[in-house]
Amino acid sequence: MESASVPLPHGAAGGHAAQSHHHGPPEANQSSRIDRQTLGILLFIVSEVMLFGSFFASYFFLRVVVHPSAWPPHPFELPVAVAGMNTAILVSSSFTIHYALEAIRKGNKSGMKLGLVLTWILGLTFLFVQINEYVHLGFSARTESFGTIFYSLTGLHGAHVFIGLCLLTAATIRAFRGHFDKDPEKHLGVEVPGIYWHFVDIMWIVVFFTVYIL
Amino acid sequence: MKYNEAAVFKWVMIFAVTVGSAIALTLLAGGLVGALYALVLAIIGCVYAYRWTREWWHNARDRPGGPDYRP
Repeated sequence: MESASVPLPHGAAGGHAAQSHHHGPPEANQSSRIDRQTLGILLFIVSEVMLFGSFFASYFFLRVVVHPSAWPPHPFELPVAVAGMNTAILVSSSFTIHYALEAIRKGNKSGMKLGLVLTWILGLTFLFVQINEYVHLGFSARTESFGTIFYSLTGLHGAHVFIGLCLLTAATIRAFRGHFDKDPEKHLGVEVPGIYWHFVDIMWIVVFFTVYIL
Repeated sequence: MKYNEAAVFKWVMIFAVTVGSAIALTLLAGGLVGALYALVLAIIGCVYAYRWTREWWHNARDRPGGPDYRP
């Protein structure tokens, strides 16, 4: 492929160092409306929504077609109150990550660090409560199709929470190292995990309503 | 539309309120009523999303580089 190069006028200062020949293929087109990182996370979230969609399809198939009578089947019982408390924890964590981002948009780095730490603590609390719930449920993933789909759906979400915690860990460490700034391009490392965390929150609200309430 | 965390947070709030209302209705009136209400909300959401894509496409066509752009 012919490499693009910009010819410089004779006598340009700096000699060879000043001649910037571009080698290789031309620069990829970058949209002026959305940056690559944000587009990337949004596309990833769309693909994960499809994945959750397939698990929900399986859930409703088992519930409506296979077991049209009582659901959960006897003697299964779900701890709705504990899950409700967990929902409140996760929704709160959405507020804290939003606070962190609003803080850094205004140049408040201390607020950003506080928001990130609080979000991380709330996320970890959610995960521990979920694991504790698994321990005390009284049935396993192998106990009939109900057990399988319950653990599959909530476990898939728990895995996403864990990934979100890993992203938040990286963002928090970088925040304390002073990597982020007021400029939107300089705090994408918080913006992208923030968007992902909101997706995790929204998905849990849907899972909670479908599995525990409906 | 701005594609940032603030825009996503706005949708988190909308989701929380609408699904919260579905949860409240389900606890008060039973599973069938809640499921029907959730279905209505889902249909409204799909209609809104469809109209948003049409508006987005219309705006994109008029921008520089789009098929309907006139300098």
